[in-house]
Amino acid sequence: MGEHILRIEPAGAPRATVLIVPPLFEEANRTRRTLVLAMRALAAKGFAAVMPDLPGQNESLVPLEDVDLAGWQAALAEVAAGVDGPLLVASVRGGCLIDHRVRAAGWWRLAAVGGSSLLRTLLRARVSADREAGVTSSLESLSETAKTEPLLLAGNRLSPAMIAQLGAAEVQPVEPLRSVSLGAEGIAGTPLWLRAEPGEDAGMAEAIAADIADCSAACGVS
Amino acid sequence: MTDTPAAVDATLRALLADILGLGEARAAALTADSGLFGELPEFDSMAVATVLTEMEDRLGIIIDDDEIDGEIFETYGNLLAFSLRKVTD
Repeated sequence: MGEHILRIEPAGAPRATVLIVPPLFEEANRTRRTLVLAMRALAAKGFAAVMPDLPGQNESLVPLEDVDLAGWQAALAEVAAGVDGPLLVASVRGGCLIDHRVRAAGWWRLAAVGGSSLLRTLLRARVSADREAGVTSSLESLSETAKTEPLLLAGNRLSPAMIAQLGAAEVQPVEPLRSVSLGAEGIAGTPLWLRAEPGEDAGMAEAIAADIADCSAACGVS
Repeated sequence: MTDTPAAVDATLRALLADILGLGEARAAALTADSGLFGELPEFDSMAVATVLTEMEDRLGIIIDDDEIDGEIFETYGNLLAFSLRKVTD
């Protein structure tokens, strides 16, 4: 598919490869720095870590309007198929909606979220921006428009297919899976994906890498 | 109880701290008169949208478009009053 893949290698031969599936849209930007720090921490533990650009995101030349969730699921499966050796998938937030078509030895998911919640926030950002511009819109009117034409939501030009798929997307079962959330029982840190100004959290990155490594061992990957 | 006034207040402060990156001290120092939208530079239209969705998730409420006007986000006091009204509805 010719998309960029950020790859961080360990010093020697990798124990396994971790495919990082970041959150979707703006949430990806807000968490990228911390996820890359987690990739470095994974490399220090002997894992190779890869994070591909999804078509239409980051450095991709594909117009975002031309892609949908099914396309992203297929693109990730293709990246995974090109990985030698055992593969573990590590997904965050909306990334958990597109990781189940990958062939992997195990899955780790952080703070998985349904697509309807993500879509609601994107539609609301548009309503709020419209209101500031003196235009009246609503979730209903935008949803109606989105059935037939692309919609610009928080800077993302999304096709009717993408909006329909996102609105209906649920996290799909995979096996073996470790599902974690933030807090005392899971990963110590704050929900950086919600943060209006991108932040970073080195401690959280370490905690993510440690839990992924633990999950890998528990899944019998390495 | 998650819908006592004190619990709603705590939930709302934590949510604003998470979304606006305020830190615990700044979030704890918010008063009823503290300005939000138009006052805090981090509080843009995307942040407004995120706050609404997180309020729904964390307070267990549903917020309709037509309930939202600019006034709700003017001050912390207005946002808290709106939240308390919603959880007791």
